[in-house]
Amino acid sequence: MTQHTLIKEDRLPGEIHRLSDLEAYLNAALRLEHATIPPYLTALYSLHPGSNSDAQHVIRVVAVEEMLHLTLVANVMNAIGLHVDLTADDFVPNYPAHLPSGEIDFLVDVQPFSQAAVTTFLNIERPAKAPTEESRLLPCPDASELGVGTVLAASPLDPSVRYYSIGEFYDEIERGLRYLDRTFREEGRELFVGNASWQITPEYFYSGGGEALAVVDLATALRALTVIAEQGEGMGGGIYDGEGELSHYYRFEQIQLARYYQKGDIPGRPSGPGLDVDFHAVYPVAINAELADYPPGSPVLEAAQRFNQTYADFLAYLTQAYNGAPSRLLDAVPWMFRLRDDINQLIRNPHPSVPGVNASPVFERIPIDRGARA
Amino acid sequence: MSMDVFLAFSSEVTGFTEFDLLGTGQAPTYHSTVERVVGSQNLDDLLRTYQESVTELDDEQKRARQLGESVLDDPRLGVIARNIIKLWYSGTWFDLSPEWTAQFGVPGTEGTFTASGQAYAVGLLWFAVGSNPPGARAPGYGSWAQPPRIPHLPPSSIPSSLAR
Repeated sequence: MTQHTLIKEDRLPGEIHRLSDLEAYLNAALRLEHATIPPYLTALYSLHPGSNSDAQHVIRVVAVEEMLHLTLVANVMNAIGLHVDLTADDFVPNYPAHLPSGEIDFLVDVQPFSQAAVTTFLNIERPAKAPTEESRLLPCPDASELGVGTVLAASPLDPSVRYYSIGEFYDEIERGLRYLDRTFREEGRELFVGNASWQITPEYFYSGGGEALAVVDLATALRALTVIAEQGEGMGGGIYDGEGELSHYYRFEQIQLARYYQKGDIPGRPSGPGLDVDFHAVYPVAINAELADYPPGSPVLEAAQRFNQTYADFLAYLTQAYNGAPSRLLDAVPWMFRLRDDINQLIRNPHPSVPGVNASPVFERIPIDRGARA
Repeated sequence: MSMDVFLAFSSEVTGFTEFDLLGTGQAPTYHSTVERVVGSQNLDDLLRTYQESVTELDDEQKRARQLGESVLDDPRLGVIARNIIKLWYSGTWFDLSPEWTAQFGVPGTEGTFTASGQAYAVGLLWFAVGSNPPGARAPGYGSWAQPPRIPHLPPSSIPSSLAR
């Protein structure tokens, strides 16, 4: 354990003082993890099949690990007995969404694979530590500057401020967990009161990188958050995470630098085999497509509506899996492959009203009929 | 002859919409495959015949009858048309008979072959039976225990680009 970690354990949370504060933060984390998935999937499937297999592999691995992160946040929430809901009206962000990168904000577009997309992905995963305690939370940018998309990594308690980085946002959750666990104990209460059988464990979530670990106490909750942070940014400034996997930032940097990292490399200087990237072997899909962009009656609109509904149904299904029916995640896998096929079909069709551009999947909010639920 | 007519014809003879066909990503590949094997004159004649005799009819029964009479029953065009159907469904171009070749010209490419690396995986037959191509386009572990997802037939056999 480093000196740094020891100090950090004593740092008090800035905003998380009650269970309801923590709940708001974990809900925001759930939204944040999900928000990266539509941009990653759209860029991934925009690549021509049979070409760019290196880039395909890199993006796919990261997208699957973001799904793991979503699941780990759900596990933390369930361990505390909080309700996980992927069907809330504000769950899917409005794109372009805003994310912080230190002092400045950048936009996250749902867009085809491109140099700009890779730059965005690097911004999403970039490790960034606030230089001072005071700069952890900064004022949100003026909406008129960047547009009105969802501001991610904002404080869920005070919408006028947002975190210096995603890393600092998670650091606040970590501090809040430590603080509440301690104060609960002092009051003779238990923070981790969730039903252990609701945890998503590796038998329900299988993928290449990282395991879905069960969260039952503070130590496992912190471990889950560490997996999220390290898979994204690396461990303590290194390029690999605690399990020896290259972190997301450096995975994407390989595309930018057209070379693979290997063990022993230092950040920014990959020395492995070359990585082939063809920025032209890409379907030019529409950026941040909305249903309203497609003309009424067009087959593309119908398909985009169908996809959007299927995606909303999928989120509702995941919500069931995260609410006491973990085995349902096994059926979610074939569902994801169907979503893949539906995206591929859309992306190969020309945009009905923009020449030279292809159709794109739409990830829009669909308010669900809550009256129909018991 | 334009890609639009090739797509409309393909939609009419396969029963899949133009959206579905474009969605396979194989339309340009199939078009150039057919053109390369049978020559642009034969393909142009097929598509022009379809365009002139079928596309204007608004009754589905009449269209089917006319398609049979002017295209499918034609000894030259019918063979190409059937091969285009098989190409969309299986991703494979099937060798033309020596008789056809002797009578209507030497094909540019002989033999039976798969049109592209992706063609097999997006063959219409898999969509038609609601299954996945074995060994490709993974459907997810255990999905074979679920009933097939057979797509709905389009409301009309008239290609949507021709519907009025």
